[in-house]
Amino acid sequence: MPPREGTYGLLAEFDTPGDLIRAARQARLDGWRRLDCYTPYPVEEAAEAIGFHRNKVPLVTLVGGLIGLVAMFALETWVSVWAFPLNIGGRPTYSWPAFLVPAYEWTILFAGLSAAFGMLALNGLPALYHPLFNAPNFRNGATTDKFFLCLEALDPKFDLSKTKAYLENFKPVSVVEVEY
Amino acid sequence: MAHETHANTLPAELGAPAFVDGWKTRALAIGSVFSVIAVVLAVADGSIDHVLRAWLLGLMLTFGFSVGGLALLLVQYCTGGKWGLLLRRPLEAMSRTLPLVFAYWVVVAFSLKKLYLWAAVSDVSAALKSGWINEAQAHAIEFKRPMLNPGAFIWVSLLCFAIWAFYTWRLNDLGLQRDAASPATTPEWIKRFENISGPGIVVYAITMSAAAIYWVMSLDPTWYSSVYGLLFLVGQGYQVLALSIIVAVSLSKGEPFRTILRQTEQHDLGKFTFAFVMLNIYLAFSQFLIIWSGNLPEEIPWYLDRFKGGWGVIITLDFLFHWLIPFTLLLSRDLKRNKKRLVRVCQWMVFAKAFDLFWLIEPNFKDAARNLHFSWGILEYVAVPVAMTAFWVAFYCTQLKARPLVQTNDPHVAEILEAEHVDA
Repeated sequence: MPPREGTYGLLAEFDTPGDLIRAARQARLDGWRRLDCYTPYPVEEAAEAIGFHRNKVPLVTLVGGLIGLVAMFALETWVSVWAFPLNIGGRPTYSWPAFLVPAYEWTILFAGLSAAFGMLALNGLPALYHPLFNAPNFRNGATTDKFFLCLEALDPKFDLSKTKAYLENFKPVSVVEVEY
Repeated sequence: MAHETHANTLPAELGAPAFVDGWKTRALAIGSVFSVIAVVLAVADGSIDHVLRAWLLGLMLTFGFSVGGLALLLVQYCTGGKWGLLLRRPLEAMSRTLPLVFAYWVVVAFSLKKLYLWAAVSDVSAALKSGWINEAQAHAIEFKRPMLNPGAFIWVSLLCFAIWAFYTWRLNDLGLQRDAASPATTPEWIKRFENISGPGIVVYAITMSAAAIYWVMSLDPTWYSSVYGLLFLVGQGYQVLALSIIVAVSLSKGEPFRTILRQTEQHDLGKFTFAFVMLNIYLAFSQFLIIWSGNLPEEIPWYLDRFKGGWGVIITLDFLFHWLIPFTLLLSRDLKRNKKRLVRVCQWMVFAKAFDLFWLIEPNFKDAARNLHFSWGILEYVAVPVAMTAFWVAFYCTQLKARPLVQTNDPHVAEILEAEHVDA
């Protein structure tokens, strides 16, 4: 795939989460859909402001947990009933109460791993490159004390000069154009 | 402009809202109706046996609310946290219902011979010869006589009640004094409550275990389980948290809880309840797994009494009601943040607790062990506990109205009044 070229989006920098949220909320109200917030720490309101919808992590976790449960229970049943049946104190080979504990542990293990790796995968991680790091103020500020709103060029409303003027309305510290 | 927070202010009137009186009236009406039903059922059954068994269930349920409330009060003084401040006065009110629980217990104390085999059998060898009891029971009753006799039952119970009453009085009394004191003394008060509550939790664990063993486990004199006290202890956490959420959310229809019950703390309480749902099944299942694996004649009959002859249906339902339903529902973050749905789950949990107690209590008796069957008497398990719990709720409402619903001399007050979100 040839490298993408052109403008990725316009990045507005704010000093406080309040300013960011106000801008993000307004942009969403004005019809922007391809936009994202970047903050140095989790700001739940920022996610709400840009209409963050549900993700699939809970579903991935549930499916992972169920796979773990079924896999371990089936393994134990197979070992104890068919592969290597043992008479333990006259108890039946299919001793489901004893199978529940490892099956439960595998449910937790698989659910936990699915949640962690599912989250990373659905986030698109690991990503070796992201255009936003081309902006020097983003590189320095996004993990320390600055709050960013990015309106992306993929949005049909995007127009380099008009959007820049639009973002200036929110009185950001700066608005910079980000290249791919 | 930066990081501005909109703090709420505590309303001037901190007393319980007027609609609590409405709850009380409704509870009294329900209590009366179900008392009448209980009497009618007793007449239809022609015996008082099931009334007393169901009475024991009602005792354990209301005892769980009262002394379990005291325990959670002790715990939150040690752990701190905004959820603790939120629940402090509702929990104090639960602890102050102890006199009613004591009155319920007195009825049991006067019916020992009807309820407990070890009290009914005075001459063990004669009872064995007549076929009333089997050899294992005869041996157990004789061997455990120093512990299982009416005198020990009554004195141990009275001692436990005295200890619970002491802690109830101490925490409730100091709670009011703390509010009257100047804010400068707050750190001292926090230390003081910690120093009372820490040892109090240990004392509670011991006395609660003694009560659970004497009142319920000894119904079957042959059987014992070392986790039994803990099982009831966790069960109390289960039912008290469920009730606390119901109370807090219901109170939030008016001030002052409308101001102080934030979604964050409600969510926290939901998570806490979820932990108790987990711990509850963990203990119950490990007890079962250990006894099932051992498969010893001293232990396994207790489970066989509760699995065979129709009881398999009850234990399967118990597993669904008591664990699977609350567990799967409380997994949901949205549900824990939704007042109405969370309250529905908590109401269900209180019912599930009573259902579990039914499974624990009824199969202890000879006519019911391995033989689940219908009689008019078995319906007492609905009528009597509902009536007893309804009267308990009425008394609880009185206690709830007795003092302001928010403790003000606490650093958490300022925190709980903060707006939840950074707002633009």
